[in-house]
Amino acid sequence: MAISSSSNLAKEEQKLAFKLLLPAFLILIIIALYPLGQVFYTSFTNREFASSTKTEFVGLDNYQALLSFTVKELDPIIDQETGEQAVDEETGEKQFQRPIRVLPRDPHLYRPAFEFSFFGNKYVVGARTPDFIRSVWNTLVFTFFSVFFETLLGLIVALVVNSEFKGRGAMRAVMLVPWAVITVVSARMWEWMFEPTRAGLFNMLGDRFGLIDGSYSFLSSANLQLPAIIAVDVWKTTPFMALLILAGLQLIPNELYEAAEVDGASKFRQFFNITLPLLKPSLAVALIFRTLDALRVFDVFQVMLSQKRYSMASFNYFQLISARKMGMASAIGVIIFIIIFAFAILYMKSLGVDTE
Amino acid sequence: MRKNLLLVLALVFIIAFSGVVMAQEEDEITLTIAAGAVGQEKATAEEAAAMYMERNPGVNVEILDTPDLANDRYGLYLQFLEAESSKVDIYQIDVIWPGELAEHFLDLYDYGAKEVVDKHFQAIVQNNTVDGKLIALPWFTDAGLLYYRTDLLEKYDREVPKTWDELEETARYIMEEERAAGNEDFYGYVWQGNAYEGLTCDALEWIYSNGGGKIVSDDKKITINNDKAIEIIDQAAGWVGGISPAGVTGMGEEDARSMWEAGNALFMRNWPYAYALGNEEGKPTAGNFDVSPLPAGDSGSSAGTLGGWNLAVSKYSEHPEEAAKLAMFMAGEEVQKLRAVEATLNPTIKSLYEDEDVLEAAPFFGSLYDVFTNAVARPSTATAPKYNQVSEQFFQAVHSVLTGESDARSAIEYLELDLMDTTGFETGEPTQP
Amino acid sequence: MTRDQKKILKKVLFYLVLAIIVIYLLFPFYWAISSSLKTEAQLSMTPATLIPRDPDTGEISIFTRNYKAIFTNGGFIRGLINSTIVATSTTILALLTGSFAAFALGKLRFKGKAPALYTILAMTMFPQVTVLSGLYAVINALNLSARVSMIFTYLLFTLPFTTWVLTSFFRDLPDEIMQSAQVDGATPFQTFHMILLPLTAPALVTTGLLSFIQAWNEYLFALTFTSIDVEARTVPVAIQYFSGEFARQEPFGEIMAAAVVVTIPIVVLVLIFQKRIVAGLTAGAVKG
Repeated sequence: MAISSSSNLAKEEQKLAFKLLLPAFLILIIIALYPLGQVFYTSFTNREFASSTKTEFVGLDNYQALLSFTVKELDPIIDQETGEQAVDEETGEKQFQRPIRVLPRDPHLYRPAFEFSFFGNKYVVGARTPDFIRSVWNTLVFTFFSVFFETLLGLIVALVVNSEFKGRGAMRAVMLVPWAVITVVSARMWEWMFEPTRAGLFNMLGDRFGLIDGSYSFLSSANLQLPAIIAVDVWKTTPFMALLILAGLQLIPNELYEAAEVDGASKFRQFFNITLPLLKPSLAVALIFRTLDALRVFDVFQVMLSQKRYSMASFNYFQLISARKMGMASAIGVIIFIIIFAFAILYMKSLGVDTE
Repeated sequence: MRKNLLLVLALVFIIAFSGVVMAQEEDEITLTIAAGAVGQEKATAEEAAAMYMERNPGVNVEILDTPDLANDRYGLYLQFLEAESSKVDIYQIDVIWPGELAEHFLDLYDYGAKEVVDKHFQAIVQNNTVDGKLIALPWFTDAGLLYYRTDLLEKYDREVPKTWDELEETARYIMEEERAAGNEDFYGYVWQGNAYEGLTCDALEWIYSNGGGKIVSDDKKITINNDKAIEIIDQAAGWVGGISPAGVTGMGEEDARSMWEAGNALFMRNWPYAYALGNEEGKPTAGNFDVSPLPAGDSGSSAGTLGGWNLAVSKYSEHPEEAAKLAMFMAGEEVQKLRAVEATLNPTIKSLYEDEDVLEAAPFFGSLYDVFTNAVARPSTATAPKYNQVSEQFFQAVHSVLTGESDARSAIEYLELDLMDTTGFETGEPTQP
Repeated sequence: MTRDQKKILKKVLFYLVLAIIVIYLLFPFYWAISSSLKTEAQLSMTPATLIPRDPDTGEISIFTRNYKAIFTNGGFIRGLINSTIVATSTTILALLTGSFAAFALGKLRFKGKAPALYTILAMTMFPQVTVLSGLYAVINALNLSARVSMIFTYLLFTLPFTTWVLTSFFRDLPDEIMQSAQVDGATPFQTFHMILLPLTAPALVTTGLLSFIQAWNEYLFALTFTSIDVEARTVPVAIQYFSGEFARQEPFGEIMAAAVVVTIPIVVLVLIFQKRIVAGLTAGAVKG
């Protein structure tokens, strides 16, 4: 009797769960099934965007073109007179062969993506689509640093806002302002702050404090592009993290802290023994969505760096709109999809959040 | 309560759905022109549309505004064309798009354009002709110009530079003097050095004026790898951090204009739009500048890159005859004159540059005539449909030289390989008039 | 150091941290406000000034015409209305369907939870550009109006987000609540909307606000779907259509003014709902 009623209950629960999930899945099927399916299918074709050229099935060609790379050693240039490696007179650097001499050209042209040194030898990484390889690297670096700083700052802001003080309510609104500014516009605003003349904020400040000469170009210097973009993104999305963490903090019962207080645990110990472990589930979800957004980052790259440096999504955009290679663009979409999926599972496993 | 909310929402959506299917009136046809959204440009287009409707009862003309950013506009058009949408009949297209989009547009020679093309600038007509078909009618034009400060040239008793070397020399001299006099933000020359289509325009001007060809020639030969081209790109790289701010490698048209209008530059390369804006009250440049053709290099003749917009009729239009007729009217003399007088849009019809009303409204048009007749078109028609890739590879290569990442020779060598890979064309020697 | 001194020092430190946070979050926004009050000539002035000043005399000179311009621009007001309609509808739909799904995923026992969760997440894993042309085809096939298509397509990113966040909150609510409610004879659905839903108020408000803002700010879909239907353009698109008198001229001051104006309704919205964000659980409620 007891057994059958509990199994009945389980059945009913399953039924209810099915009913509750139905609307969400219905909506997703109607709007997402065709576009997502189309992306997968198109990624195996040479389809061109807005063109009547015949589309053919090309198998994995797009993926090969995007991901093929090769590493070649660059031979040192030998000075005829001394018999030793030639040295650049101006910079004093040792000279090596140019990549153009060693990278394969047939059947496909490999272009240099980047060079590195290892035990005094110099190597070049050549790729068929070096811009894509670089865009993956850019995006990963961007994602790592921006998500790290956003989580850290978000945690600090959430903890501060969660404590008792006057003007808390106003502070919660202030906290969200950067997130509320329209993304495209905020990128333009920062671009103006980075303007390479003293009409821009950073050049004006840098000049006033004697750090730079007032015409520094942040966005075209290879070393500062990513830090600049990361700074913009951290400013923009720290509120997102902070708010989600703040909501997570509400789930931690006060008595736990009261009990710890009675035991004489310090605030630090309370933080590491109570707050952090109990925050894990909310943190995991926040991290997943932040990482997912960071891996798909588009607006800031598009507005501020345009074609100087690509993120995966902005490279994707230019492949589709400018080069009109729809098959290639879809393949990039699928690769991004796979990377994001891997990250999502990694987070769930490493933070020990179960899904069942 | 929640259930009620759901019902209400469902109702709202049903109402919203049904609103879409409302039929149009039967007796008149509607033609839609996708055009610029900008102030006077849009106002005069609407005025011309009203004129047309008055003369052609039964035709309703609508102007659909599209984003001002060329990339956004292009993306939107591609979306329409991919869907073979009949919602837009006439497209306002950039001078670099006819080759790219040719397959979606009608041959206007079939609709009586033969008789009018001779009135327009030859370079534009040639640019808009793909495989013998006229893809688009020239509507208004644009070309690179040299802006110079008349007050400063006078003060230091210098001439308007005719060659790049002169420009460099004058810029350096006056920049040093002005800086010594206390304006520490002053530079000699600002232009568009960011990695985007604008740099393709600027660099093409240097190279072509130096006798280095136009990247890919009209007969589909890759001509970029030559000494003249490398020499002038090297020279331009020398301006960065000298007569031009180091930050010029991040500047577009608007950044250059902003610096120029603050009174912080002696020379500027820009499009004609900056003329009226520079003369606005309260700006240090107001009344203190003029324009001239860009300097020349070894070829001895100046070159301004051709810009501007054209009207193309969609193959997917439901009323191709009427649409073509409307396009002919919009690009005709009457409307071009109206737009020249009221919106200072540069006509593509040669005779309008001698028209008294036009010259009265925009006196500087007279001096632009030579620039437009000598304008150099980007190799968009020869490389179609790969122009965007060609242009990107070109400006990336030039940008890497400007920022010092690579030297001109290896950048151009790689560019040549890239272009061969992208287009499948052979290499050749630049030929220039 | 006495206890009082320590207390004061702590307080001072706390407010210092608070001040730094406020400056960090608000200064760029202040820069936008200051830029919106400048003329083109003041904007291009070197060196830039923190407060709008006259280029010649150096005296403070505030320029308000940017604000007048955006409010006389019909497109902007219309955009505000459209954005409100679209963002509100999307958010309500996402919260509704999302909380149903989240309750099932977080509190009910059934097979295939993990695949369901990941399938929902997978909807939002493609870059927007990639799915754009497919979505456009679906919308054309279903003949949806621009506003409706925005409301539905925004669910692509709002629905997975609300579902995941709410699921994690439901899961954290103690099972005893449900059990005790069931003992009292409540059906699971009653338990859900009478007891659990109020308890997740902070999560609902938080995800609601975040999704609302995301939908409010969306640009690429809106640009494409409203390209023909001028009447349906949302604020980000309307701002992008701001133009100067001439092609190529970017009315930067007006764009900044619009950015400032558009942020205000959201701040008001947060002020209305902010109490709810932290009004969540008391220890008593958890024990039931």
